[in-house]
Amino acid sequence: MLGKSLTRGLIVAGILCLSACAAKTVTPVRISQQGDGELSCSDLHQQIAENRLEAEKYFRKDKQVEDQNVAKNVAGAIPVVGLFTVASTDLSNEEQVKARALVDRGEHLAYLAKQKGCTE
Amino acid sequence: MNKVHDILRMAPVRTGLKAVFVIALLVELSGCASSADPGAMVITSQASAKPFPERLQHAMCVRGVTGGEETNPLWASKVDNKGFQTALSSSLDGAGLTASADKCSYPIDVNLLGLSQPSIGFDMTVTAHVNYKVYDPSGQPYLLETVDSPFTATVSDAFVGVERLKLANEGAIRTSIQTFFDKLHNPGENK
Repeated sequence: MLGKSLTRGLIVAGILCLSACAAKTVTPVRISQQGDGELSCSDLHQQIAENRLEAEKYFRKDKQVEDQNVAKNVAGAIPVVGLFTVASTDLSNEEQVKARALVDRGEHLAYLAKQKGCTE
Repeated sequence: MNKVHDILRMAPVRTGLKAVFVIALLVELSGCASSADPGAMVITSQASAKPFPERLQHAMCVRGVTGGEETNPLWASKVDNKGFQTALSSSLDGAGLTASADKCSYPIDVNLLGLSQPSIGFDMTVTAHVNYKVYDPSGQPYLLETVDSPFTATVSDAFVGVERLKLANEGAIRTSIQTFFDKLHNPGENK
């Protein structure tokens, strides 16, 4: 009985392999953007503050996704069902990529603000 | 009666086919992950390629790489900082960009933002997201570039899933370094 279920599970996993669970398309913020040189001090400060908040949000979300992935990996040991949980693991690193990109962008904007002699 | 006889005769064949399929799938889904091979991430410059700006030739070095991850053999293949740094340094060497000791006037800082990987799949596409930061001799940014580089590894490249993911990682980093080199040819274009 278990053997039959296992075979069915593996067949489903095989179909999943064929269909390919592609990673999400992730587009991080560019570190340097056109028009950066024309930003005023207030624009720079506003963008730095917004980026910081957004990065914190993504870092928190990234931690949640990582925890979920660990749980799914542990559940992967369960026959048949485990294959589905492993297949649903999120390895896109979307939140991590976006958060790190925002931190780098923030550092660049802070550099520009310093170059302009902007005061806090 | 003949029908029953035929079914009974075919039963071992069907069981055998099932077993082969199950074994093939187990091989596909199993295996230990290993980290990306730095040698497989190096790009080789073509003789016909456009030369780099003169000021960059023999003037660059990799100051640091951050963001890489160590590979857990029970999990997915990753790219670590040391492997990336080795691959980029070797690529710079091959392109005649590496500075002699203590004469690095255009240092490069790399931040590996992350690898977007599939959890499972036949064709596996990995996208490497990397920030390259090059500074000039006065410490000002010379080139700041965010590079997203996808690469697909197919079953014909490797049958075992973990190996295919490793190949896709290596290909994505190779493509990333190639894109970075393309930007070095025309650093003003994206400013």
